[in-house]
Amino acid sequence: MGETALVKEPVIKIQGFCKSYKKQPAVKGIDLSVERGEIYGLIGPDGSGKSSLMKAIAGVLSFEQGELEVFGIKVDSESAAELIKARLGFMPQGLGLNLYADLSVEENIDFFAQLRQVTPAQLDQRKRKLLGITRLDKFRDRPMKNLSGGMKQKLGLVCTLIHEPELIILDEPTTGVDPVSRGDFWAILAELLREQGVTALVATAYMDEAARFHRLSLMYDGHILAAGEPEFICRQAQGSLVELSAEPQIQALDQLKNHYSQVEAIGSRLRVFIDNQSSDQAAKTVSNLLVGVDIKAIHASQPELEDAFIALLRRQRLSEQKTNSHTVPRFDKPLLENQGIAIAARQLTRDFGRFRAVDQIDFTVRQGEIFGLLGANGAGKTTAIKMLTGILPPTGGEGQVAGADMRYAGQTIKERIGYMSQAFSLYLDLTVIENIRLYARIYGVNRDIIKQRIAWVIDIAGLTDVTGQMTAGLPMGIRQRLALGCALVHQPGVLFLDEPTSGVDPVGRRRFWDILVHLARVEQVAILVTTHYMSEAEHCDHLALMYAGRVISDESPTNMIQSLQQEAGQLLEITTDRPLETLALLKQAGFNGAALFGKHIHLLALDIAAAEKQIRALLDRQAIRLIDSTIHAPTLEDVFVYRVLALENKERL
Amino acid sequence: MNSNRFLLWWDRVIAMTVKELKQLFRDPVLLAIIVYFFTADVYLAGEGIKLNLHNASVMVIDHDHSAASRELIYRFRPPYFDLKGEISGKKEAENLLNKGKVLAVLDIPEHFQRNLLRGKQVAVQLQVDTSDTVLGTLATSYAAQITADFGQDFAMQELGPVTGQTDNLPVIEDRHRVLYNPNQIDGWFMSISELLTVITILSMLLPAAAAVREKERGTIEQLAVSPLTPLQILLPKVIAMSLVILLGTAVCLFLIIIPAFHLPVKGSIPLFFAVTALYVFATSGIGLFIATASRTLGQVTMLVVLLMMPILLLSGVWTPPEAMPQGLRWAMTFSPLYYLTEMSYAILLKGADMYILKDLLLGLTLLGIAFFSFGVWRFRRQFG
Repeated sequence: MGETALVKEPVIKIQGFCKSYKKQPAVKGIDLSVERGEIYGLIGPDGSGKSSLMKAIAGVLSFEQGELEVFGIKVDSESAAELIKARLGFMPQGLGLNLYADLSVEENIDFFAQLRQVTPAQLDQRKRKLLGITRLDKFRDRPMKNLSGGMKQKLGLVCTLIHEPELIILDEPTTGVDPVSRGDFWAILAELLREQGVTALVATAYMDEAARFHRLSLMYDGHILAAGEPEFICRQAQGSLVELSAEPQIQALDQLKNHYSQVEAIGSRLRVFIDNQSSDQAAKTVSNLLVGVDIKAIHASQPELEDAFIALLRRQRLSEQKTNSHTVPRFDKPLLENQGIAIAARQLTRDFGRFRAVDQIDFTVRQGEIFGLLGANGAGKTTAIKMLTGILPPTGGEGQVAGADMRYAGQTIKERIGYMSQAFSLYLDLTVIENIRLYARIYGVNRDIIKQRIAWVIDIAGLTDVTGQMTAGLPMGIRQRLALGCALVHQPGVLFLDEPTSGVDPVGRRRFWDILVHLARVEQVAILVTTHYMSEAEHCDHLALMYAGRVISDESPTNMIQSLQQEAGQLLEITTDRPLETLALLKQAGFNGAALFGKHIHLLALDIAAAEKQIRALLDRQAIRLIDSTIHAPTLEDVFVYRVLALENKERL
Repeated sequence: MNSNRFLLWWDRVIAMTVKELKQLFRDPVLLAIIVYFFTADVYLAGEGIKLNLHNASVMVIDHDHSAASRELIYRFRPPYFDLKGEISGKKEAENLLNKGKVLAVLDIPEHFQRNLLRGKQVAVQLQVDTSDTVLGTLATSYAAQITADFGQDFAMQELGPVTGQTDNLPVIEDRHRVLYNPNQIDGWFMSISELLTVITILSMLLPAAAAVREKERGTIEQLAVSPLTPLQILLPKVIAMSLVILLGTAVCLFLIIIPAFHLPVKGSIPLFFAVTALYVFATSGIGLFIATASRTLGQVTMLVVLLMMPILLLSGVWTPPEAMPQGLRWAMTFSPLYYLTEMSYAILLKGADMYILKDLLLGLTLLGIAFFSFGVWRFRRQFG
């Protein structure tokens, strides 16, 4: 698999690993090996067995079957586990869960150092260095609870690294962290890798982080679907991805769904996975298939990791494939209210004491539009949503939601909108149908039609098989659909979704967005989504990027990317034989935005040709071999990071 | 339209109440606690806790060994005292008292009988362990009474044959009539007071637990954006938990207190339940306040314990209001349990009716409205 030919003893070696909780198998036979000095990824949705595997490797969880070797030591007893624990660092899942909220940054570090018996001299030196890299040195005395999500994770990383472990195990370190902090996090990891040669095993639920790893395992339901370098896994899916935009979109979508099982609509684009065909073939097949539809643009390429994941799942028949045979039921009657504007915010402002959480924001959402509100933790998204849903009165400005003035008609707004919160907030000790019935009555669905309406919710959310089940036992994907169903129980004209699909597997997420696209396109429901995950942002027709309470960019995703291209240029991906040195070199040469993605380096450049020439010269001087350099269009994530960093830098000056 | 709105308002409350009941009945731990409180706990309190002196262990140092001393010793007998035997001297007595082997030691001096017969004054000594004040005080007063009776009887016997007319002696006989609990059965008092305590704990704990659980599990977020008002979120919890508590009270009264302790209910049972319902509503206001002040179930239980103490101490269950210092007597008007205690004993044991209880009823109602409004106000401020 293109690894260096050097024979290295793997740091982690696992064979036939199984783990059950009360007879409920969580990991079902896994083989895995991690080489020294690599960043190895475990990617999979919630409940795929990542955490169990990581805890066992860290020596804090016993297991029933299989062999586990860490640093060549067989972990089969308490004493063996103690031997390896001293040489590794483990950061469990959850933002700052292993830290002490009331202790300051420095006290937290000191505590972990004492726990690990680091000598004061070593501690002093390491602390200075680690705080420097993580840019936490200015916040030494700040209590941990007052740090932002990203800073908490960085502090967690510092505490994990204070005894200079050879192996670090990080369980979902980037979940709930905004893209800028996520970028920081990966950069720190890359630097440590370069300076200390640590090995890292990192879990994530996000497919789009795959490129950050040297090698990875795709996990699903306790199995490994595929393992290897990201490109290798994408090739394993054996097929091509066709992207097109067509008018009318919904008609094209229906036609494609009749023939292929892996189709999705993202914003104005449609994406289809075609099995066993090369790119050229696939594009032709698709354009021949569509009739009565005006194809605006069509383009075929190698599938991305998420497409590969779904294709592999489909082949191994591990997931239910009902997505496409499912026809979404219509609303009882079409939405009549206020056909034009669904949400209008004008100079909307909210102060908490002297702190301005939302600062004069303006935007409009039309009926039938999917609108995304993007921003880091603390950018003001939640406060904005609270004002729009009528929970929080604004300090200044005004807004209309579903035809009611939010300053005076909070109650009316609540009756006309649907809302789905970030954390699952339905009752786990009620069954699916009990939850739906409860919300139907809360929203005052007429007694005469309540039975039909409940049936409609079950149908639209695809819950037929689970109506009588206790909600606590349902997987994440189904819970999210139930939450959506409950939010739709009164067939609202406006729908608010707060980070709706975090932690949901790609199959579940597609099914979820299928419903949303239908609601927007067919029923003309206005949908407002807040997120800091770009995979969700891509589904939106329109995006507003928030920073420090203000909307700093308000455009369609395509325009956002285009305007970034005009300002900052294209994305250049460089592959060399010594990526870590290359990165250091490029940063020295002034390419500040350069970041490590597994074995590749990404950077933005206005004049690609000039940049490439400069880089070639640089590499030549150091005798680093340039293996490949390719040009990509920047992604929404690049837009986000670029815009936010630009503002942060401006404020620093 | 208005009546439609009204019906819709209540339909929402009913839907939420049904939800609360379902959740409660699916929580085995909470259910077990409720069942225990209303059955075993009340039974144990009624059966186990005795306020009279029962079989207090006594030993005797008899320096006289006469008929008179034997007669006196013989009077220390069950059910109040349990004579454990004779010991030889003061040292041994001290030793036994120190070790807590006996509660009291009776010391009868030499020439006890002779001196009595000669008409001289005699004294006996009783050493009592009063580290448990209640028990010690009871033992002292019972012993004093026994000795006094003995002295009187002895005097009569001696004088009788001389004068021939004992009836004319200036002796006051204490003929008390015990009202309401003629046999002074501790079980009646104790089981009722324990039931009232249980009602108090649960009517704070259950609504508070139900409300804080919505916070803990994040379900409050979904309710906050729904058309429910804070009152519509809170009222169902109070209604549901009140129903459960009233059901528990009925079970306790009819299956434990009445059959086990043969409590003769003198007053109106519906009135007792009406008063209890009013009380549960009043106390649940405190529960709602607790829910707004805590983030977790653990904090709720700590606060319930903390608030339970003053409510209980100021209720008059353990100390009657008359025995309290003026300041505390005034503070008692803020303990809802004071009203319930007074009214419950009055209804169940004395057969009091609504007219007699009108002041207490009014007091509890006002207190209830104050507590409940405060609880809802706090909640509204937090989530409104």
